[in-house]
Amino acid sequence: MKETPLQVLLVEDNAGDVRLLREMFSKERRDSFQLTHLLRMSEAETHLAKGGVDIVLLDLGLPDGHGLDTVRRAHAAAPEVPVIVLTGLDDEALAAEAMNAGAQDYLIKGQIENRALPRALRYAVERHRMQTETDLIRTNQMQFKDEFLSHVSHELRSPLTAVRQFVTILLDGLAGELKPDQREYLEIVLRNVKQLHSMINDLFEVSGVQAGKLKIELHCTSVSDAIGYAVNTLQGAAAAKGISLSSNIERILPSVCADPARLRQILVILVDNAIKFTPQNGTVTIQARTFEEDPDFLLLEVADSGCGIDPDMTERIFERLFQASNPAAADHNGLGLGLFICKDLVTRQGGKIWAHSAPGQGSIFSVTFPIFSLPKLLAPAFSEERQIERPITLVVTEIGSQTGWLSNEVRADQCRGVRELLRGSLYSDQDILFPKMDSAGPAELYIIVAITDGVGGAAICKRIRKQLDSSESLRQAGLTHTTSYRSLDPILRNPNQSMQDWLETVATQIQELMNNEISSRQVRNG
Amino acid sequence: MASRKILIVDDNADIRLGMHLRLKANQYETFFAADAFAGVAEARKHRPDLIILDLGLPAGDGFTVMERLKQIPFLAVIPVIVVSARDGLGNQKRAYEAGAKAFLQKPVNDAELLAVIRQALGEPARTKSPTLHDQGSV
Repeated sequence: MKETPLQVLLVEDNAGDVRLLREMFSKERRDSFQLTHLLRMSEAETHLAKGGVDIVLLDLGLPDGHGLDTVRRAHAAAPEVPVIVLTGLDDEALAAEAMNAGAQDYLIKGQIENRALPRALRYAVERHRMQTETDLIRTNQMQFKDEFLSHVSHELRSPLTAVRQFVTILLDGLAGELKPDQREYLEIVLRNVKQLHSMINDLFEVSGVQAGKLKIELHCTSVSDAIGYAVNTLQGAAAAKGISLSSNIERILPSVCADPARLRQILVILVDNAIKFTPQNGTVTIQARTFEEDPDFLLLEVADSGCGIDPDMTERIFERLFQASNPAAADHNGLGLGLFICKDLVTRQGGKIWAHSAPGQGSIFSVTFPIFSLPKLLAPAFSEERQIERPITLVVTEIGSQTGWLSNEVRADQCRGVRELLRGSLYSDQDILFPKMDSAGPAELYIIVAITDGVGGAAICKRIRKQLDSSESLRQAGLTHTTSYRSLDPILRNPNQSMQDWLETVATQIQELMNNEISSRQVRNG
Repeated sequence: MASRKILIVDDNADIRLGMHLRLKANQYETFFAADAFAGVAEARKHRPDLIILDLGLPAGDGFTVMERLKQIPFLAVIPVIVVSARDGLGNQKRAYEAGAKAFLQKPVNDAELLAVIRQALGEPARTKSPTLHDQGSV
């Protein structure tokens, strides 16, 4: 059988070593190996990038490359080509590290037996090929599994919609009055349908988690809103078990840099879990405060008086498909995906999640989120060089009532709606929404900073006005709004200034402008 | 006032019936279409006040329906609410860009659907619906 010669690239600067290796190759059949020899790493990189090399024999002490760095560079130039490291007798530890850095094998100079070299080369190539194949199969399998999960959860939703629809139609008496028993049984159906729905959502989410596809959009996000949402959503479930669900938060809580929908989701998963694992008449408390250990972060805690977790398990519970073998929760089998999803979401928003517990003494789940900072939020929007020259627009939207300023009662509810509207109307990469919710004084004031790109401040204003004008809830609450804008001069970057410094200058200037705006309105509004 | 007309475009007959029952109980008149082609044809025929549109449909999809409605001036003005089992992230954005008034994910909560319909029709919100059980979300 005629073989294609194996293309070997030898990168070695020591003439003696090269001669020895050449001699070894010369004893092999001519059609089995073809040797190319280069002296420098830079030459090797160029050669590798051209392709056609089957294996690299790499010295770790080249004139223009040292140690593990050479291995990494070879890999970077041709990730698909296996590398065998050549090393001196006293360097075996380094060789082992090179293997960790991705080398297939190592040969110790002066100890290479005649026949060992071709064998080592052939093995390395073969091993590498098998590994690549296995990796590819695994990737394909993962992808198939994710697509399958996504497809299945989608297909399950349709029939579930019909079930849910008709159960509620019956419960609402649209097909005639129900007897008390019938009502009770249908309510059981509905409860289970809802549970099934949430499992399907978990399946769908987890397929996204695995593929790293979950979309996260960071905003300046109010934590008290998210807590309010979680408490509202799960109050019913808690009450059904006689569990007291309450929140205890610092009065002035900084906003965090997080995706509001994801933050709500995380809290709902944690509170839902707490309720599941807490017996009748227990308590579940949500707390939020600035994190003592790192004041750049906000700490959220969900504490329960439930069955607790074995201390050995407090890390494992965040693994995929982990199910506590707890009899108290036996009737609440989920898929074991909730905490796994939580961990992924928290980590991807720059936070941490952990659990503290002892069996029988309840558990505390802690989550941290980075506290909102304007520079952090601005950075990506300004990061493209082209955007530097563009004007920046400051849009101010103020909500008030015809008779005076908002009473506290209408404020919370109505302004939440307004906030949602504004978010909806600003679905654009060019806009950065900065709602200054916590310090807005008697009127709610929203400030939006936009880097305009064809869309001027007037256009953004118009869009917001339109959105607010069509708000039924705003009209019903007797609220009015004013929206104004100002275009700011481009803040040019000094050639000596680093990108980071410049971004901070821009962010600080915007922050100052907004502070001025807020204080001038507070004076005006009394 | 004559009841407002709503066209339901969904290929699942059970879901069409379910929506019909719910909407009828809230004094809306309903019409149906089971595919993208019929969706446009029925809209032309009945000139509804609002369209509830599924995305996964035979003979095209919800997006083709919206596209075709756009090309016919008297249909282009009808508010469209997309109700789909498809994943919300990309499709929601695409639906809004295609001109949808709202995007709801199946299984849809009837309270939410009715609220969105009222908003799209410019009707005053009701604090309490006479017939609503499915208030909570999961």
